[in-house]
Amino acid sequence: MPENQPVSFTGASRYVLDSELAAIVNISMALEMPLLLKGEPGTGKTMLAHAIAENLGMPLIVLNVKSSMKLVDALYQYDTLTRLNDSRFADSDRDVSDIEAYIKMGKIGQAFTADTRTVLLIDEIDKADTDFQDDMLDVLDQMEFDIIEIDKTVPANHRPVIIVTSNAKKDLSDPFLGRCNFHHIAFPDPKMMRKIIQVHYPDIDNALMESAVETFYRLRALEGVEKRPATRELINWIRALRTDPDFNPKQLARGETPFLGVLFKKSQDYQRASSVVHGRKLF
Amino acid sequence: MFIDFFYTLKDHGVPVSPTAFLTLHRALKTGLIGSLNDFYTAGRAILVKSERYFDRFDQVFAHTFEGTELPDLEGLEIDEMARALLAEWLQNPREMADALGVDEEQLQRMTPEELLDYFKERLKDQDGEHHGGSRWIGTGGTSPVGHSGYHPGGMRVGGVSRNKSAVKVAMDRRYRDYSLSGPLKASMMNEALKRLRHLVPTGPRDQVNVDATIYQTMKNGGDIEIVFDRDLKDRLKVILAIDNGGWSMDPYVQIVQTLFNYARDQFKDLKTFYFHNTVYDALWKDPSRYKQPVRLEELARYDPATRLVLVGDASMAPYELMAREGSIYIQERSGDPSLRRLQLLAETFEKTVWLNPVPQSRWDYTQTISIIRDIFPMFELSIDGLEAMVAHLMSKTTS
Repeated sequence: MPENQPVSFTGASRYVLDSELAAIVNISMALEMPLLLKGEPGTGKTMLAHAIAENLGMPLIVLNVKSSMKLVDALYQYDTLTRLNDSRFADSDRDVSDIEAYIKMGKIGQAFTADTRTVLLIDEIDKADTDFQDDMLDVLDQMEFDIIEIDKTVPANHRPVIIVTSNAKKDLSDPFLGRCNFHHIAFPDPKMMRKIIQVHYPDIDNALMESAVETFYRLRALEGVEKRPATRELINWIRALRTDPDFNPKQLARGETPFLGVLFKKSQDYQRASSVVHGRKLF
Repeated sequence: MFIDFFYTLKDHGVPVSPTAFLTLHRALKTGLIGSLNDFYTAGRAILVKSERYFDRFDQVFAHTFEGTELPDLEGLEIDEMARALLAEWLQNPREMADALGVDEEQLQRMTPEELLDYFKERLKDQDGEHHGGSRWIGTGGTSPVGHSGYHPGGMRVGGVSRNKSAVKVAMDRRYRDYSLSGPLKASMMNEALKRLRHLVPTGPRDQVNVDATIYQTMKNGGDIEIVFDRDLKDRLKVILAIDNGGWSMDPYVQIVQTLFNYARDQFKDLKTFYFHNTVYDALWKDPSRYKQPVRLEELARYDPATRLVLVGDASMAPYELMAREGSIYIQERSGDPSLRRLQLLAETFEKTVWLNPVPQSRWDYTQTISIIRDIFPMFELSIDGLEAMVAHLMSKTTS
């Protein structure tokens, strides 16, 4: 059983892990509890699950939660239309009287029925309503669910490593929180940020990185910006700077900021940022 | 083990549950926790379920395992309040001296530090004598100064000092954004908006309705007939009128605007107007309330099914609302008291609401709020209030 092996998570090729988070991931795996991650968008919540999967060599199954989602969608789907079609035209090799042939597993179902232990990422749980969240935790607690149509219980072959992310748009319910371990990913400090950039661009020029990071934190500190740029934006921005053949890191030091639209994605924020950037030029 | 730690956490307002405590012990048994650092990390991940308690956890942890002092919450409150008084004093020395019943000259000779100490002393005295009283120096919050909006909800008190010590940071509710009942913040917009949607089927019929399909097919004796439905879209017309006059509304104008800007693509039609304190002859299309007036009579031309949402603190001098020439602007002289104009608005549209950023618990203290509440259903500008507002706007809709 893979559960009994001392699997532990130490980091991955594209993810910079701080030791605190590593400890929390390992404890959650040992306790077989889902780990709830909160934090600003773009701080690497989703990336963490990818990193865990890569590091532990487990397949990753991603459940992207949508606001209209019902729990049963995440578990399984009963394809009534295909069955109706088959019963009418009888041109498929499925047995119409066998309902199970028309049951397709949803993401949680796939994680349960997989042959190996998997990492199950439940992304942006806060989009769904509270009923969904509580019901889902019941399923994850008991590690089994029922398919009503064929009156069958699907147990989990292997308990998946469950990572839940939330953008902190609203509070999750108490029973939900009670069953999870919790971690809040803080925004990385400049030192950490340099490491993150180096992981993404191992061959990056030092002058470019320094001035980009400095400019980035200065722009991030702007008041009155609604969606502040996060790690994701910085990485994309650096990619944009690197692909521009005319760009020279000295430009940043002079206060010029090309590709501002990569960092600020709301028009109001963009205007605010560009007015500040251009205002600086006057001096 | 660590039972004291558990109860200290509980006493200091970190919501910890016995189950989580047992889980922590389970974690200790796994052998993964080999040092105090590990214990700290594990303890926080397991016991604390929200980042807003991280800081308090840190303090209790430091207290239990390192023996540092826990902050004295009461002293801190007085500290912050004294600072607020100081700020008030700098702005308005005379009023302040009057309220305290001391000589203005005497106070003026003191340095800020001396003043601070003096205020603290006064606060301590006053707290004993006028506990929950209505003197403006009391802690009850019903003082005339607070009432007219200088310290709305104590926000000012928390935001005065910039160079906070570590202890004060603990009190500095940095995660206030996430509270459901607190005032709305930009980060909560999407959440709030979900509640503002009013779904109406539109667009091409491209969604298969399985139940209807099966029903029709059975009805046809097995001949398949697939029934399609339209997609659901929000097609609501909304007029938003925001009170953007004066400092009392300043903190809220942007929030409300952002909220409804997000909503723009949801609603069929969203118009934003501005007013100050209350409505007289016209609403204004431009935020400066100068260039583009829209007379109330023109509003009558809009679809009466349009939802009218007024946003304002509804707090003003009663004469502004009741008197015939009540407007504080000289050019607005219609002859009708504002109260009549508001009633006209309420009659023009089927569904109107007034959103008020002032917490509901304090509505009864302001006369004009009570009057306006009689005309418009009033809701608090918070997630809960929005929910109630949407429920009201959607109730018994005919369209």
